[in-house]
Amino acid sequence: MAEVVLKNIGKKFDDHQVINNLNLLIGDGEFVTLLGPSGCGKTTLLRMIAGLETVDNGDLIVGGKRYNDIPPRERRIAMVFQSYALFPHMTVRANILFGLKIQKVSPTRMQEKLEWVIAMLGLQDLEDRLPKEISGGQRQRVALARALVLDPDVLLLDEPLSNLDAALREMAMEELKRIHRQVGKTIIYVTHNQVEAMTMSERIALLSGGELEQYDEPRYVYDRPETMFSAQFIGSPAINFIDGVIAQKENQIGIDSRIGFLLLDKERFGRAGEFTGRKVKVGIRPQNISYLEHRAARRYSDTSLTITVELIESLGDRSLIVGKVSDEITVRFLITREADIALDQEVRIFIDGRRLHLFDPRTQKNIFAARRKTSGE
Amino acid sequence: MTWKKTKIFKIQEIWPILPAALYLLGFLIIVLLYLLGLSFSNTARGVFPTLETYAEVFGMPEFREALLNTLVFVIIGTPLELFVGLFLALLLYKSFVLRNFIRSLVLIPLAIPALVTAIILFILFDFPGGHVNHLLLGKYDAVPQIIQAPVNWRGAKIFSLGISLLGKVWRDMPISMLIILSGLNSIDPELFDAARTMGAGLRQQLRRIILPLIIPSMSAVVLLRSIEMWKEFIFPFVLAGQHNLLGTLIESFYNNWGYADKAAVVALVLVGCIVCTSLLLILAAELNKRIVQG
Amino acid sequence: MSNIVKISALSRKVFWLCAVIFTVLLIIAPVFLLFKYSISDASSINTGGSPVPLWPYNPTFRNFLYLFSDNQFYGVVINSLLIAFFTVIVSLLIGVPASYVLGRYQIPLRKPLLVGLISVRLFPDIASVIPVAEFFITIEAHNTYWGVVLAHTLLALPYVIFIGTSAFEPIPRDLEHQAMVMGANRFQIFLKILFPLAIPGLTAAAIYTFLLSWDEFIFAYFLLGLGRISTLTLYLKQKLAYAPPQNLLATISVCLSFPVIIFSLLLQKHMSAGITSGAVK
Repeated sequence: MAEVVLKNIGKKFDDHQVINNLNLLIGDGEFVTLLGPSGCGKTTLLRMIAGLETVDNGDLIVGGKRYNDIPPRERRIAMVFQSYALFPHMTVRANILFGLKIQKVSPTRMQEKLEWVIAMLGLQDLEDRLPKEISGGQRQRVALARALVLDPDVLLLDEPLSNLDAALREMAMEELKRIHRQVGKTIIYVTHNQVEAMTMSERIALLSGGELEQYDEPRYVYDRPETMFSAQFIGSPAINFIDGVIAQKENQIGIDSRIGFLLLDKERFGRAGEFTGRKVKVGIRPQNISYLEHRAARRYSDTSLTITVELIESLGDRSLIVGKVSDEITVRFLITREADIALDQEVRIFIDGRRLHLFDPRTQKNIFAARRKTSGE
Repeated sequence: MTWKKTKIFKIQEIWPILPAALYLLGFLIIVLLYLLGLSFSNTARGVFPTLETYAEVFGMPEFREALLNTLVFVIIGTPLELFVGLFLALLLYKSFVLRNFIRSLVLIPLAIPALVTAIILFILFDFPGGHVNHLLLGKYDAVPQIIQAPVNWRGAKIFSLGISLLGKVWRDMPISMLIILSGLNSIDPELFDAARTMGAGLRQQLRRIILPLIIPSMSAVVLLRSIEMWKEFIFPFVLAGQHNLLGTLIESFYNNWGYADKAAVVALVLVGCIVCTSLLLILAAELNKRIVQG
Repeated sequence: MSNIVKISALSRKVFWLCAVIFTVLLIIAPVFLLFKYSISDASSINTGGSPVPLWPYNPTFRNFLYLFSDNQFYGVVINSLLIAFFTVIVSLLIGVPASYVLGRYQIPLRKPLLVGLISVRLFPDIASVIPVAEFFITIEAHNTYWGVVLAHTLLALPYVIFIGTSAFEPIPRDLEHQAMVMGANRFQIFLKILFPLAIPGLTAAAIYTFLLSWDEFIFAYFLLGLGRISTLTLYLKQKLAYAPPQNLLATISVCLSFPVIIFSLLLQKHMSAGITSGAVK
């Protein structure tokens, strides 16, 4: 049983508030990612959980125990650092056994654990090598083994994949998921890479400027961004934002914007009528704009629009199109590679009225966000 | 990263520094207390406190001679060390074949104990034989005769102190060189390229770029070397038995005549000289900086 | 035009080459002469009017054999070794913990402290030796091994701390934190992580200390005199006082210098760094 509860956690460096009244509940055995841009406080938060930084205010509770004043070595927590922090003067074996030796575990038990973790991470035949004699991917696995062998309640991972190249990173992600299933530990994973967060975690805690922006399952963070920051940070290519006002026209609810009247899907935006006349920022993901050729039928809630192709950026299997609506306004959307579009061509596109995200320009919050509790279920 | 700023540090965590701190501070206090205590007493008559010893030492011709000798030693030796260091550093600055080898070679004088260097000179400048006398007497075929009779190098004041200075400068060459070389190495090489594109020749580069930029390291050399010159003991001790510097005067007061009080006075005078020289040099460097900056 | 440039470039090179050769000779000559004297036979020294030869008439290692058969010589070498050895031990015992703190904690005034530490060495030995000798007479440490060891420790400590600090400083903070998270306490972190990683630097400090004590003269001379306990430097000084044969003097000098030259060249990098860092700050 090792739930991690953060209650009103705060942290200051000099006069700079790094973490501001943060609440987070991480369930036992859950894989949670702290995601955010650099400087958002995610690493600081992780180091606070590890005990490497003091908690200035609030409560840090792990497994029902208040951890605020417990020194790191008495916490049942293991951590993998971004640099892996392998002890350069020790062999792989000595690195893995370091913590057990400190705990004075019996040699036979130590051997069992060593064999278990080496088998799990595929480190056979590397036991007698020094860290400088093994590859980056192997180092990452040793760091993980060294943490797992201690049988911690909580495993903290600080950007453990950022030093690996792309191919290796994908393998490592799969492996991490497998290990999580196998050991069932609570894992808190820090990264700035949304792909890692999306792929591996059960829930993502999105941080910005020391505050929690959204805490949800990956698909919900993507589908229902609670804040403009969420909408902007998650998803690639970046979302389009357009200013507008909620309005009703000819019995239709939509948004009066500078690119025209954008229809809203009645099922999802049934309550939109209440907000008539309210200023909004509309977020439209490039994925939710389509080009005529690739649409079998139009939905009633689609808005059609004519744009001039200004830029075509190849992303491999698809291309990103930057289309000019008027002199100041452009929208970005994706087309398949086969689509035959040339620069300066005028094309019709359709905006999916079910997938619009409406934000209050002042609070930057989603107007229709289901009021989920940030602290979880 | 920001977290580095707040390394958790508690006063009870730094106790391991205490033994070293106490050791050094303890000796510092002992040294100062004993020096002052001895200098203000007259051990022969068992009087304390008194200025008698100061008066007595200042009146002694041996003291005045030693002070004057040391002053001359410092005034000649310091610039000499600076120029030798500068010469060697410039010599080693540009990269060339065997640079590392020659660089190691240049460090050799530092690796030879000062006592041994003094003894080499002791043997070379022997009287009436010795390499140097034989050389100057023209006994080697390649060299013409310069002197008529062998010179007693270690007996004559100017020669004995001169050889001491020679030994001192020879042994300390690497130190001056290393300090200036580190100054040279910190100059951005692009400066030279820039100067060359503007048509500056070698001499102009030396005068307009190198010299101004290594003034800090040269100041450091002057400061440190002048202090070392004041402190000098071993070379005159071995090579100039009859002609004292302040350092050897202390030794002779203490060991030969048994005057701990007089030795302490001279030691304090020596420390005073060092402090004054340092202050003067630091002041000069500061003034120079002000003037240069406008 | 281009010919003139070529000639001036060539003459510059020639000048520069001459300067290098001159420098090398200036440095090598005394070392060579010392070696030459140490293998000289008597006839190459007492030449009876003819010039002292640049290479001995009959090169011989007899001087070394003579020295190595002298019991007093063994005695002083052992004394020097013992004193140097214990100086290393005491200096490290006191200096390493201090280096650890200075290298790993951001204590206030750290920089000035380190500079002050090196500045202590600017205080003239010949001035501090009088009070130390007087103090040692009072506490009856005069003419003892441990008195010299304590004095040499005083001389070595600033260097040990300075070199030691720069050995502890660059060890990544992450390693310490990792060990901390894995359950190690401060002492275990020091013993199992930091100390092993600082060993190369600390070895340099130890060798430096050893050499400092090995060829130290002033404190040994004032604290031991020419009395019961003698060191190699004092033995050399003692021989000097009795107008010894030059070849024997040179032989003792070679024995005294040999370990210093070897280790200094090995430690070149550390030595240069120490000198310049102490100087420029």
